[in-house]
Amino acid sequence: MEDNSNRLIRADLITGIVFILLGLIVFYLSWNMSRLEIRGIHPSTIPGLVPMILGALLAFSGFLLTLRSWRLGASFRLKGSLLPLHITEESKRLAVMLVLTLGYALVLVDWLPFWLATALYLFVSIVLFELYLTSEPRPLMRCLILAGIQSVLVTLVVTFSFQELFLVRLP
Amino acid sequence: MFMIDELGMLAQGVGHFLNLTSLFNIAWATLLGIVIGMLPGLTATMGVALLVTLTYGMPGDQAILTLICMYVGAIYGGSRSAILLNIPGTPASAATSLDGYPLAQQGKAGYAMGLATTSSAIGTIIGIFFLAILAPALAEFAFNFGSYEFFWLAVFGVVISGRLTGANDPLKGYIAGILGLLVAMVGMESLHAYRRFDFGIPDLAGGIDIIPAMVGAFGFAEILTVMRRKLDAKVITSQGRTIPYFKDVWKYRRTAIRSGIIGTLVGIIPGVGEDIGSWTSYAAARRASKEKEKFGHGSYEGLTAAETGNSAVIPGALIPVLTLAIPGSTAAAVLIAAMFIHDIRPGPMLMIENPEFLYQVIAMLLFTTVAITIYGLSLTKLLVKVLSVPREKLMPVVYVLCVIGSFAISQQIFDVYVMVFFGLFGYVLREMKYPMAPIVLGIILGTLLDTNLRRGLALTGGDITPFFTRPVSLVLCLISVLAILLSVPAVNRLLLRGLRKVGLAQKQSSDAGV
Repeated sequence: MEDNSNRLIRADLITGIVFILLGLIVFYLSWNMSRLEIRGIHPSTIPGLVPMILGALLAFSGFLLTLRSWRLGASFRLKGSLLPLHITEESKRLAVMLVLTLGYALVLVDWLPFWLATALYLFVSIVLFELYLTSEPRPLMRCLILAGIQSVLVTLVVTFSFQELFLVRLP
Repeated sequence: MFMIDELGMLAQGVGHFLNLTSLFNIAWATLLGIVIGMLPGLTATMGVALLVTLTYGMPGDQAILTLICMYVGAIYGGSRSAILLNIPGTPASAATSLDGYPLAQQGKAGYAMGLATTSSAIGTIIGIFFLAILAPALAEFAFNFGSYEFFWLAVFGVVISGRLTGANDPLKGYIAGILGLLVAMVGMESLHAYRRFDFGIPDLAGGIDIIPAMVGAFGFAEILTVMRRKLDAKVITSQGRTIPYFKDVWKYRRTAIRSGIIGTLVGIIPGVGEDIGSWTSYAAARRASKEKEKFGHGSYEGLTAAETGNSAVIPGALIPVLTLAIPGSTAAAVLIAAMFIHDIRPGPMLMIENPEFLYQVIAMLLFTTVAITIYGLSLTKLLVKVLSVPREKLMPVVYVLCVIGSFAISQQIFDVYVMVFFGLFGYVLREMKYPMAPIVLGIILGTLLDTNLRRGLALTGGDITPFFTRPVSLVLCLISVLAILLSVPAVNRLLLRGLRKVGLAQKQSSDAGV
């Protein structure tokens, strides 16, 4: 817990700085937005008005956040990295999940026909999580076959019901 | 005044849905909602967001019907896993587990679930009552709202949501709100048709669509959180009587009514949702209770308060939705987006253009209340089986639905990227304890805020006085400023010191650092 709150304070320090930068960038971009003088609009209705205000507010909030984290001693605890050095069970699962989900959404769906991408994704997900990342791995053959059947079944049901019953177009 | 007109319209609303298609939709949508609510990791907002896509092809009234059934079902469904697993199926049921799980451990799981069912039904009905009375009144009041009022309403919504949902850390709540507002700034702005922040990417010029963003922040982010945890809890089997004795329900009627009112009020406040409704009702019930010791150890009163409170939020949240197009909760925000998709325009004009709609919504709520009561009291054993589906199989399927859901509305792969981005973004922010509700409010209210500010300025030629002199604007402005000021610790300390001097606050024996 102690470690967690330390990490949070450090994370806040960094995000505070990020928000300051982001806020300033937004302010700068909005300041440079066209004032649309050609159209003769009133100067207080420029498109950049609200983004400017928001950018300034964001930078200010980021400043407050950074200040608070600094006061809470974040800078003195910089020994020890921000990311956990030891690979916990949790971070492994998260990493695998990220690779799978991002791979599916960003790569597979574009590349392969939807049903194939989906079936593959489901199959790999189930197998990985049931065989490797769990404390009670199931017997190999049985798991593979079961996973295979389940992914194909779900893909069929989903594709069919969405396309035919609900008339939704699939990627 | 006998409100004959209104009763007539209500009867019409009910009659509108007394056909086979509607009843079928009510049946499956409510059941699906209960299942989604039960499964930890699937929330009401996620369920509603995903269902919007499914119902895209349906006629407007049927679509909204299914969404409301899903909403009510999911908020109710969370109580099941709260009672049986001590894991709330949705954040709204967190307070339910405090007394529900001990009851289950005492062998009274079935009874607890029955009590939760009746409490949810009662809560919804109390909320419906207020919806029926307040909505028309508020709509009439809001009819005179101009740009100034709507600007301050948007500000108020974001500020109050940030303040109340960022409970321990309002600063993070406000930052979340600002981030949401900034997201709304991307795309073509409505006053001069000027493209903002599109960086030359044509997809961005259309702005960021709210549904993929919500599916990402509430779907994908939730999936990541769930898959990361390692939990496998044992389900307590339920035995014994399910239907509660009337005397138990009657005994705590005051608690129920109080919780219902609190829940409705919490629902009306923008961006503050069922979880806060449930906690506030629970705390109030405990304070007023003659059986305080029982709370947390299997108190029927506590369970009643929690479940009545969270269910009353739903009709309450619909009040600002229908009259002002401002979401009372995050799921209500999705409902607003869905209404616009189906060409229903919520806001003060709704009561003029489409007055039956309010009563149709009330009818929808009534029907789904009946549905959850029937399902809740009868399908106990069957629904428990649902809880044994392992997450590893379920979460990837839900993710597939998220991908389909984000794509289906505008058939753009860009929306899938939006979903992924908001999922990652939402997950990181959540891990750092930023509340999600103000982000949603910011995205929904951003355009309202921006357009009305500039329109107001255009009307007055740059003069900002009307923003501060018109009565409603002034009130909203003062409340927002007060909310922000009260969240600054230094201000609170000064205030406390002042109050103590005047004798209004108690002196503390150890004044730590004041």
